[in-house]
Amino acid sequence: MKILAIDTSCDETAAAVVDGRRVLSNVIYSQVLIHKKWGGVVPSLAKRAHEERIDFVVDEALRHSGKRTKFAHPESLLDSGQARMTTIQAIAITQGPGLAVALEVGIKKAKELAKKYNKRLIAVNHLEGHIYSAFVQNSQGNPKINFKFPYLALIISGGHTEFVKFNDHLKYNVIGSTLDDAAGEALDKVAKLLGLGYPGGPVIERLARDVHNKDFYIFPRPMLKSNDLNFSFSGLKTSFYYFVTRRHSGKAEGRVQNLHNDSGVAFAESDSATLPRMTDDLRRLCSSFQEAVFDTIIKKTEKAMRQTGINRLVIGGGVIANLRLRQLFRKLVDRHRGEVLFPTYKYLTGDNAAMIGAAASYKAEKELFVKDIDELDRIPRLNL
Amino acid sequence: MKILKISHNHNKVINSTLKTLKLGGLVVFPSDTVYGLLVDATNEAISVFVSDFEMMKDIVLVGTIHELSLRSLLPGPFTVVLNSKHRTDRLLESEKGTLGVRIPMYRHIKVLVKRFGKPVTATSANLSNNPPHYSVKTLLSKLSGSKKKLIDLIVDAGKLPRNKPSTVIDLTQSEVKILRKGSFNFLRKEKFISKSPEETKKIAKDILKNVGTGRDLSVIKPLIFIIEGELGVGKTIFVKGLGETLGIKNIISPTFVIYYEYGIGKSKVKSQKSKFIHLDLYNIEEREEFKDLGIERLLKPGNILCFEWGEKAREIIELLKSKGKIVYVKMRYLSEKKREVIIKN
Repeated sequence: MKILAIDTSCDETAAAVVDGRRVLSNVIYSQVLIHKKWGGVVPSLAKRAHEERIDFVVDEALRHSGKRTKFAHPESLLDSGQARMTTIQAIAITQGPGLAVALEVGIKKAKELAKKYNKRLIAVNHLEGHIYSAFVQNSQGNPKINFKFPYLALIISGGHTEFVKFNDHLKYNVIGSTLDDAAGEALDKVAKLLGLGYPGGPVIERLARDVHNKDFYIFPRPMLKSNDLNFSFSGLKTSFYYFVTRRHSGKAEGRVQNLHNDSGVAFAESDSATLPRMTDDLRRLCSSFQEAVFDTIIKKTEKAMRQTGINRLVIGGGVIANLRLRQLFRKLVDRHRGEVLFPTYKYLTGDNAAMIGAAASYKAEKELFVKDIDELDRIPRLNL
Repeated sequence: MKILKISHNHNKVINSTLKTLKLGGLVVFPSDTVYGLLVDATNEAISVFVSDFEMMKDIVLVGTIHELSLRSLLPGPFTVVLNSKHRTDRLLESEKGTLGVRIPMYRHIKVLVKRFGKPVTATSANLSNNPPHYSVKTLLSKLSGSKKKLIDLIVDAGKLPRNKPSTVIDLTQSEVKILRKGSFNFLRKEKFISKSPEETKKIAKDILKNVGTGRDLSVIKPLIFIIEGELGVGKTIFVKGLGETLGIKNIISPTFVIYYEYGIGKSKVKSQKSKFIHLDLYNIEEREEFKDLGIERLLKPGNILCFEWGEKAREIIELLKSKGKIVYVKMRYLSEKKREVIIKN
């Protein structure tokens, strides 16, 4: 079944056409360049950018869905995407979780198309999309990974950190999640604090690699003593902040207060003498912080494996683009004679509509369509 | 006993009320808080309605310092206790010669008192130790026949919003005292020390209970918490504490998407459901960017808004002030494990 999938949950305007879990076309309009300037997602800009791009993105996804190659024949430009709506059987849309004003744009578009072309709608949870991203195939049907339920799924992104028991298709149990900040958010915030810009994860990864991912300062590993599978990264963020400001100011208290200017970039405009220069010092800080976050994730995952008895992992979300984290997960499953699945292609780590389409195809098999299109509304804190 | 509906003819109702008061009669009248009992205050009363500061200064001593702070409160749901000039009935005054005065935020009473030219009593129309009345129907159902006969006139404005009785503040002592807590509570400025996330949550819970939730305060205006503090100081923890008081257990940092909404209360009708909105302005840089956040849309009575990185809310502070009730929360590191939490109302 061919499905047009749309995702506007946060800062990417994304559309894709899938046939089952095979991706026929995938278009992502990234707002990262816009947000780079601001140091993060900005709702007003995100909403406007979604509105400006959604028609184009959907059209592009449809237009390329019939081709086997990325390089369309020039004449195909005449072939409008909407003409291909006849080949589409259903429309999948991300209902949540995400930014309310952004989700609205995609849902509005999906409803509009569903009514205009008389298609059925499939509402998808953005998180199930991330889980299915490990099983997404290219248009040729590769890689051919068979489902071997149950899996222990972990979504690690800028907005989420959740453990999910993935028992069977569309059957999920959330068994742990962050109590405050998401892992990716903690990395982004620390990068911003150090004046490294947005998104901070990739910069931290690079700087940490320069010093061989060593842990120099041994920041605390939060929540490891707790028996549950929840995460909390705010305490770690506090330790880091306190450590850095104290070290670079001599005395903690007075500095802490005026360190932060309104832009949130603590060091960028402060006295250059207090700045951890783009030196090994900065690299050591980045590496130590990243290790603290990742070590916490790995140890918690190990705990989750023991508690559930499941040694097959599925990891999704933007943070798993990080190669150091992948390496740590591989070592973990080696110790437990298990296996770990990552998003099959790099574009699937971030937000995208292909994974939404893949998840939707299993919903379509079970006839899980939206009953009343008008009633469909965004749910910004949608749970699995 | 006569009953007049105020929705019909304001002028006629005011005239009849004036006539009754001049004859020394007793009138049940709606107000900005609950239904009250009006009589000519130069005859008898407990606390009194005045129309403005001028009339207020006629009957009580208002110091310059008092006047400054009073002007920020009044008109509003406050009864202010000041030293009487003994121009009202002595029975109204306490043994110490003080008198409670109100300037209500209610047009009909203001017009009435202005035209009456002198204060009227401002007692709530319920028997002692009984809850106040928000409708004439419940008021009459609680009164015996003989008591009903004492009432000369009832002015019916239908169901009043369930605002609490006024907050009574005694300004005659060197230290300001709150004699009765109404819907507005005076925290003014309170300082707390927290030594753990649990303690921070507890502080948040107590604050929310103090400033009022659900039915009272936020029914009139949305309640807004503006929370300032350094990275990692515990702002999200504070908001989690607020949320938990309202039964919301799944609050996480909204930084990535700027804000999350949670339903509060039991109403099944979606449009009537109050919301708990948790915003994080960490990533917001310019005034422009507030536009499409739809903050106006969220500023509805019944809603509670919590702004993290509230420093940045200054851009929209005027909007928030005009539409809501703001509680400022400042959090500060004292040490790695210790925080100071300052609450300002």
